[in-house]
Amino acid sequence: MSIKSDVDASRIELLEALRNKKEKTWDVLAPQYGVTNPNPPWKTSLAAMCDCLADSGKLPSLDRRNAEDKLAESVYRDVPAPERQLLALVHIMLNRGLVDESDLAARMRAVRSRLESA
Amino acid sequence: MSHSHKPGESGADLPHAAPTVEEITDFEVLEIAVRELAIEHGLFTAEDHRRFTEWTESIGPAAGSRLVAKAWTDPAFKARVLDDAVKACKEIGIDWAEPTGFGTPSDYMNLRVLEDTPTLHHVIVCTLCSCYPRPLLGMSPEWYRTTNYRRRLVRWPRQVLAEFGLIIPPEVEVRVEDSNQKCRFMVMPMRPEGTDSWTEEQLAEIVTRDCMIGVALPRPGRTADVHPVHKARHPVQE
Amino acid sequence: MPKSKPPEKVRPPADAARFKVGDRVRVKDMPNLFYSRTQMYIRGVVGTIAECTYKDIIPEDEAFNRDGRIEQYYIVRFRQKDLWPEYQFENDTLQTESPERWLEPAD
Repeated sequence: MSIKSDVDASRIELLEALRNKKEKTWDVLAPQYGVTNPNPPWKTSLAAMCDCLADSGKLPSLDRRNAEDKLAESVYRDVPAPERQLLALVHIMLNRGLVDESDLAARMRAVRSRLESA
Repeated sequence: MSHSHKPGESGADLPHAAPTVEEITDFEVLEIAVRELAIEHGLFTAEDHRRFTEWTESIGPAAGSRLVAKAWTDPAFKARVLDDAVKACKEIGIDWAEPTGFGTPSDYMNLRVLEDTPTLHHVIVCTLCSCYPRPLLGMSPEWYRTTNYRRRLVRWPRQVLAEFGLIIPPEVEVRVEDSNQKCRFMVMPMRPEGTDSWTEEQLAEIVTRDCMIGVALPRPGRTADVHPVHKARHPVQE
Repeated sequence: MPKSKPPEKVRPPADAARFKVGDRVRVKDMPNLFYSRTQMYIRGVVGTIAECTYKDIIPEDEAFNRDGRIEQYYIVRFRQKDLWPEYQFENDTLQTESPERWLEPAD
């Protein structure tokens, strides 16, 4: 509908690594640990992030949903729902230059080492 | 369709105190990393994010259930709901202005509660995206956001309802409400028979999320939205 | 601070509503040059005004800035048979919202 809603569905290297981690999605992992929470702990935070981006006008909800739909039917078709929503959001943000792929890769390494040292 | 829920559990919409998995996944790391960068780049503030997170955790379908149960037992309240639903919500402790003072970017302060009658059945959808009356119903279920539901409900509503196990007699008008702009909608189903002496609390238990979307009808003994889980064992390859 | 839109009462007034409840209207079939929330499936179809809802900024302007044209919105009711020629059930209906610029008198 919108001229702003176009998303480039080409694969993004950083996100491909996550897309292929099918054994680490919540629907697989939670039963292994006997966790009954139907959603991963980061899902609420993800929803809040979507609201914040819409509220500040940086990424309107309809643009995000259109792009999510397109990505959900293509690149991330086989990924379960919460992980798919996360990958799609980051995909769109990278696409629009809201964050940079190498910055994000570096920050992911930093976050992991921080969490693992805690 | 969606995951089945255990009785007494309101579904995927409420925060859970359940323990989490004992490993740090890349998905968790990605969510934190992108959020930190977004905050550093000034896309939003940490305070905005905290506020929306708190709000998201506070919402769920129990509010809608309370509203319907109260309307069933209190005709004056029901009249106020149908007249000005946003205002009536305050009587059950739901303020549509939260968390920003003006609502959220996808929950505008326009709400209509659609009253079912013996000759009219409502069902809601958002064909554009997945607009949903979040202050009353919480986050929408996954199936509500699928293109399958959004595209097909407007065109084949009776077929889609039948897939939820709901058969509407041909003489009853099925009215689809597509919330593609700034009004949000919620269905007020009819009070079922056999509930005459029930309290508001008892009534609220049978007004599940699906009943307020319009894909199920309340009835005594039905207190949870249980959909058979059709796992795609052999996903269709296009 | 979140920058959600201010409530309609502090916004500039729109012109008086052009249509009233019960009026027959046709949804215009305009090109999607700009952001629109008017769905393709109602374009060119005749419906009935079910409610004059609120006045608000039009989606075409909202996508690009927050100070845009204010217009009356309506809930329009369509007969399903008018939307989908093959539809089987005579009485079924569909309602959706539209800003005034997308509607014209049907008669």
